[in-house]
Amino acid sequence: MNSQTKSQFIAVASITSELSAVMVVAKEISLAAANAKAIAFRAGDKAKGFQPITDFINELAKETIELVTNINVYALLLYRLTVNEYRRTAAYNRFEQVAKLAVGAEYADSMQEPIAQAKTIMQDCQRQFKRDVTQLLGQLEAVMHHARAARVIAANSRIEASQAGEYLQSLQAVAESVDKAAHTIHDNVQRCRIALSIYRNS
Amino acid sequence: MKMTKIYEGAHQWVMFGRDENKPDNIIDSNQYIVRTANKCLLLEPGGTELFAPMMAAVLHHAPVEQITDLFASHQDPDVISSLGLWDQALSNAKLHAPALWEGYIRHFGCESIEYVPIPDNGETIKLESVELQIIPAHYLHSPCNFHVYDPVAKILMTGSVGSAWEGANAPVFVERFDSHVEKMRYYHQRMMPSNQAKRAWIDRVRNLDIEILAPQHGRMFKGDDVKRFLDWFDALQVGTGV
Ligand SMILES: [Fe+2]
Repeated sequence: MNSQTKSQFIAVASITSELSAVMVVAKEISLAAANAKAIAFRAGDKAKGFQPITDFINELAKETIELVTNINVYALLLYRLTVNEYRRTAAYNRFEQVAKLAVGAEYADSMQEPIAQAKTIMQDCQRQFKRDVTQLLGQLEAVMHHARAARVIAANSRIEASQAGEYLQSLQAVAESVDKAAHTIHDNVQRCRIALSIYRNS
Repeated sequence: MKMTKIYEGAHQWVMFGRDENKPDNIIDSNQYIVRTANKCLLLEPGGTELFAPMMAAVLHHAPVEQITDLFASHQDPDVISSLGLWDQALSNAKLHAPALWEGYIRHFGCESIEYVPIPDNGETIKLESVELQIIPAHYLHSPCNFHVYDPVAKILMTGSVGSAWEGANAPVFVERFDSHVEKMRYYHQRMMPSNQAKRAWIDRVRNLDIEILAPQHGRMFKGDDVKRFLDWFDALQVGTGV
């Protein structure tokens, strides 16, 4: 296996691992939202500004989970494509080796067609991989967008929390955990994007 | 890759082996082809490492598109792990291999090649006008295992039976049976699990008219050495691994 293929395998595998961490964090946000909703309810008027925010956080967490679920399915396809590309490339290389070893053999020329065919299939696989990576990068961008939005919401939550009197601390903790989670999602997804970006369509 | 024509009539048998370019740490193996006017059958096509030299060697005898049939006696990697590569090179081929091993052998890659499962009691492979008998040789050494007999060429391809672990420079035929025995004893005692299976196989093949007994590793047996081998194997206690 050459280093190009190796790093491609690693890049694809890293998506799945980074995203499983994102999933955990997104579920944490969802939990934080439920928690915040309960506090805001108890706080009543003091946390009036906070109530719509909790719904918003919850919505955002749900959307992130959905996105990541879709991306995981896609990443699996990408992994299969990588395996296939590896298989096709390995075959093409072996066929070339056959042509070299068969010089002078009566039927050496008959190998030309399988070689040409293997080359076409290999190149198709490579193109398909690039296309799929470009699309996946788009989906990852959407998750980043959600993470950025979550951070903005966290900032707003902090302001609202400051007006919640004795509930200040617990609401601030909610804002804190949303912010931290959004940060983690942002970082993980960013790592995926960097690992993949060298394979995108130029 | 060394090529030795072992039968020449209306059809041909060629033995391939003693590949001087193979990595030292993989076992040397014998591959065989049966060539008719427009078709070519590969017996025990070999491992992945062997694909390129084997394909190149076959191109001395047949064009790619006429390689229509493959045969694997059992599921081991030295027998058939090259399948995934043949699968991508051949556009219209069949693999004749044990029915029991289908789900296993397919791990090597079998998408375009048609897997023709051989039932436990064997069958016949037709290659144009040549009819080859697929003879059960279960537990020798694989639990589901077959040999190929050509009644016209009088060749019995015996897969693991008759094999010996030998160097890449060894002659292709046994020259002095008595000294060759030492190269086979441990292999057969350790690799063959069942005296009962051995008995059944010997009873079956003693009825065949065999001029050449052609194993997958080591040297082939010719003429009187075939009977010598059967007698020797008959007397040998196998299954010594436990
Ligand atoms: Fe074996």
